[in-house]
Amino acid sequence: MSHDHESAGRGRLDRRRFLTTAALGGATIVGATALGGIDADAAFAAPMPSLDPAISKSAFAEGRITAINGSVLEVAGSYGDQHLIQLTNATSVWKLRPTTAEEIKVGDGLYARGVDMPDGTIAADAVWVNIVNLFCTVQGIAKDRLHLTHGNNHAVVGRIVAETTTASYLGGALTSDLSRVRIGQSAQVLGAWRPDDDTVDIARVTVGH
Amino acid sequence: MSRSYTCVRVKGTDMACGSTSLWAGETTWFCCGSAWGPCGSTGTGACGTCQSNAHQAAWPNASQACFNITRPDLCGESIARRGCGSVMNVKHQCSGATVCVTVSDCGPRTKSFCGESTCCNGACRTNRVIDLTPAAFSAIGNLSSGKLPVYIYE
Repeated sequence: MSHDHESAGRGRLDRRRFLTTAALGGATIVGATALGGIDADAAFAAPMPSLDPAISKSAFAEGRITAINGSVLEVAGSYGDQHLIQLTNATSVWKLRPTTAEEIKVGDGLYARGVDMPDGTIAADAVWVNIVNLFCTVQGIAKDRLHLTHGNNHAVVGRIVAETTTASYLGGALTSDLSRVRIGQSAQVLGAWRPDDDTVDIARVTVGH
Repeated sequence: MSRSYTCVRVKGTDMACGSTSLWAGETTWFCCGSAWGPCGSTGTGACGTCQSNAHQAAWPNASQACFNITRPDLCGESIARRGCGSVMNVKHQCSGATVCVTVSDCGPRTKSFCGESTCCNGACRTNRVIDLTPAAFSAIGNLSSGKLPVYIYE
């Protein structure tokens, strides 16, 4: 037990030091790191959070991106708060799929997790851009989209993205076959909101009862 | 089984979280409160206090009216009632990462996904038994995973 705690503590220090160093521009990161594999697929597939969530030390931010200055995202929080999100070589970016910082645009929404820096920025370990996870009811089915409602009967269009959208039926394995989706079913839609047209690109739809 | 956890006071959690085992199962995540995109229409939840940026949770038996919607019993889950303001620790089954959350909404809709499992390191947890806000979920895992296997303590 003490060994576990010791290891966890050492890992936390290493990760924090690593991310901080990366944020300050002192690291060029190649291959596996103290944060785990830094390629996006590895980072998001890992069962372990890529940043040891020492709760008192991890930071979280959400909001809309108002400006991008180099590797810093200026974010307007939904409660009037402001955030500066520092992207580093170690930051994992998700936008419908694991991707790179080049895909991030002004106007996008995001959730970010990272470490508070002395200058007030957050050095991000992960940013999830436009991600939504909505409990919906299927109202209509078209070739390239699902018509859904969520919350208090709010309509949302879920776009089926070729070679990206997958389905899971009653918790079964993921498949690209959406032919078993039926009107009236409950569905959990994990996807990426599109600010331009207020639709959602579906990454995964989990169909329930 | 019982372990002690250190929980800091964060926005949305006013009381200390405990280490007495309460339940286990899947957690998903949801958005609430002021928010961007489709989340902007979700409101502040059954308790009127829910915020995506706080360490909060939805519990399927937050009230009788809530239970009547979520019906975890239909999936064989005899989940105890814990009302608005209750606090609990949610621990990732495999990583051990833990977050202290306050019940601020009703959910998830357990009955709609009976039998669904989420696994890590070969061990699985079945049925959706708690929903976390993005702030809470991201403290113990990645939002893009959508769901995690967890132990819950109070």
